[in-house]
Amino acid sequence: MERHIIVCIKAVIAQVPGKRVVRAPDVLALNPFDRPALEVALCMKEEGSGTVTAISMGPESAAFALSEAMAIGVDRGILVCDPALAGSDTLATSTALAAAIRKLEPFDLVLFGTRTADSDTGQVGPQTAVLLDLPLVTGVSSMEQKDASLVVERRADGFQENFEVSLPAALTIHPGSVQPRDLGLSGIERAFEEGTVDQWGLSELGLSPDQVGWAGSATLVASWTRAIKEKKCEFLSGGAEEQADELVKRLVALGLIG
Amino acid sequence: MSEKHRAVRRSVRAFCEREVLPIAKDIDQEARFPWEVVEKMGALGYFGIQVPKELGGAGMDSVSYVIAIEEISRVCGSLGLCVTVHNSVAVYPIVAFGSDEQKQRWVPPLARGEKLGAFCLTEPNAGSDAAAIEATAMRSDAHYVVNANKVLVTNGGVADICLVFVRTDPEAGRKGMSVIVAERGTAGFVVGDLEDLCGMRANPVSSIRLYDCRVPLENLLGKEGMGLRIALAALDTGRIGIAAQAVGIAQAALEEGVRYAKQRRQFGVPIAKHQAVQMMIADMATQVEAARLMVYRAAVLRDHGKPFSQASAMAKLNASEVASKVTDMAVQIHGGYGYSKSYPVERYYRDARVTRIYEGTSEIHRMVIAKNVLGS
Repeated sequence: MERHIIVCIKAVIAQVPGKRVVRAPDVLALNPFDRPALEVALCMKEEGSGTVTAISMGPESAAFALSEAMAIGVDRGILVCDPALAGSDTLATSTALAAAIRKLEPFDLVLFGTRTADSDTGQVGPQTAVLLDLPLVTGVSSMEQKDASLVVERRADGFQENFEVSLPAALTIHPGSVQPRDLGLSGIERAFEEGTVDQWGLSELGLSPDQVGWAGSATLVASWTRAIKEKKCEFLSGGAEEQADELVKRLVALGLIG
Repeated sequence: MSEKHRAVRRSVRAFCEREVLPIAKDIDQEARFPWEVVEKMGALGYFGIQVPKELGGAGMDSVSYVIAIEEISRVCGSLGLCVTVHNSVAVYPIVAFGSDEQKQRWVPPLARGEKLGAFCLTEPNAGSDAAAIEATAMRSDAHYVVNANKVLVTNGGVADICLVFVRTDPEAGRKGMSVIVAERGTAGFVVGDLEDLCGMRANPVSSIRLYDCRVPLENLLGKEGMGLRIALAALDTGRIGIAAQAVGIAQAALEEGVRYAKQRRQFGVPIAKHQAVQMMIADMATQVEAARLMVYRAAVLRDHGKPFSQASAMAKLNASEVASKVTDMAVQIHGGYGYSKSYPVERYYRDARVTRIYEGTSEIHRMVIAKNVLGS
């Protein structure tokens, strides 16, 4: 089964930012939640044949994430990059990704991580699927390939759901579904020294500046501050049995056990 | 630092923190060589970092190499030692001086980590004075008959392919030294007991003895009489790796020192608030950074095909002494706990000490550096 699988990935900010978010090379890393999606795509490629394309939207400093994807076996990396994309919310990001994915037709599958390690919305996968009018299953933990469809398993809230999905389709991959492979040194050398990351701007995508960036965003982050968790340490008094009873009582009251 | 170099650091760090960190203390205490991790490292190309791609290696530059060694050593000095010795003084001389047939035969399995290499120079009576070796290899028909007593061989207990420095012409002094590649399993090839070391305990350092060991003539590396030249070329390269290893150990000690200083409270505040501790942290950070830059400079010179011997000697001398000082300060910051096996800094302290001894002592390095500076 020759498939064309597209994986959308992101270079996330790996260090807690100070007052301003700067996507500098030293603080970026490939989103760990995207690694399982890449792994699933590469396993499918190895089981059958076909190609895997990775797409990322971000500044030029994010291109390394695509090179890292190519280092583990992705065939092609495309960076969606344009100054007009600055300030994009999840909807504008999905608009840009959907435009890039349309340019890559025909494809069979579009994969996403369930969320990103920095902004953590989990919205881009579902929104992109809607814009592309693709069937979507989120949190997929395993799958079986059929000729023109996939049987996928989704686990959520202690339930296991099985779906048969016609292709082309979009899936978000559960982070615990597979163990992503490590980057080998030969792959890094090949991808970073010999590989090329294609770069597409708005003109290649056929989008106008008012569809993306701040202009195309439905939401605006008005402000952000670091959340401070209130931690309290309380010592229980009494004998060991009394302390244990009190502890159990409190855990039950909080709904954590019982 | 290029994106490729950042990727090397991220990937090696991620692997080592996941696979090596959880066992680093135990393999040190048990003096156990972690085959299960070594096999994975082999699959990721760690044993053929600079080996050309056509010979099964990653074909990377020296900067990538030192970053990888630094990151492995940051988590486990013993494995950093295994990898750097294998790459720089076992595999590199075969790549640089071997015939095409020798390279095809030995390098691919070494580069994949399926076989491990060792460098057998030191003897009971020859260490810093390498030309004083007593091992011999005498021609007998199509073989050399090798007799050697090599000691303190890094990777000795697990090595399959050993570069053995011998005298092929006992009358020719320094010009009579040669390198014979001896394979484990050959009749007369004996691996001695493992050394019970102070540090680097997960590396199986042992003696290797060859008793009338018949090695085919085609196992001669280069030509007869090239032994000292090969040794010096290997050690020039090896020094960069040992320097990177020392930087990695020092970096680990710095991180642990900082972590503990923020957590440990005395006189009502974290000890990081005390100026005496801040002075140590500042010295540690500065020395580690300076040592790292010297190592990277030596690697860059090598990558650009420029002379790097002096730079690598200076980098090794400095990094090994920095590692000793910084690990000592990390123990000091930890106080009594730093002297306990409950915290990793005592391991760093023990591991750092030997970096001033192997692949050229600090004293030999000072002699080499002074000779170059003085021009005599």
